[in-house]
Amino acid sequence: MSVDQDETLQRLKAAVHFTVGRLCQQLGEDHGRGFSRQVIAAIAETTFRQCDVFAKDLEAFARHAKRSTVTAEDVKLVARRSSALSVYIQNKSEELNQEQKKKSSGKRKSRDTEEESRE
Amino acid sequence: MAEHDAEIVFKKETVGKLLSGFFKEDKTKLSSDATLLMAEILKVFVQEAAMRSQKQAQSEDCDQVDIEHFEKILPQLLLDF
Repeated sequence: MSVDQDETLQRLKAAVHFTVGRLCQQLGEDHGRGFSRQVIAAIAETTFRQCDVFAKDLEAFARHAKRSTVTAEDVKLVARRSSALSVYIQNKSEELNQEQKKKSSGKRKSRDTEEESRE
Repeated sequence: MAEHDAEIVFKKETVGKLLSGFFKEDKTKLSSDATLLMAEILKVFVQEAAMRSQKQAQSEDCDQVDIEHFEKILPQLLLDF
């Protein structure tokens, strides 16, 4: 790995750490129980590694569908293991679709995104 | 915090670069929708990790969430995602 790539990686890790820190701070304030710096660092590192797993899965799903672009459908498959998360992501995806329809102001009501990825 | 409900999310750019960096093949691309949805999944992942750690700390009657609490919830967390 070149120095340049290494630096990008470090920056990405820092970005993840920053957002994790903010999310934890918010939850800490809500519940009156703070997080130690070590915990935040550990959650950030775990998230970073989980990204690796997600990315490899997404790539494999896209390849299986004979695509080279990862789409929302692939993300829905990544979320399949937890039914609550799966439903949540389906809804988010619908929202995104609707926003795009508003922007393009098309009147077509194609509901092809409603195919559910049930086990 | 000025606005409590100003939702904290991962930046789209960060998620895009992060995932692209992990792809095995360079030609694999990421659609815009997919990136936004992944940002959402990552947020849920972090919130889940934090909430579960907090629960663990609570059950042990600790005032602060420490690494040992996170260690205890980590295996199940990884199984759930």
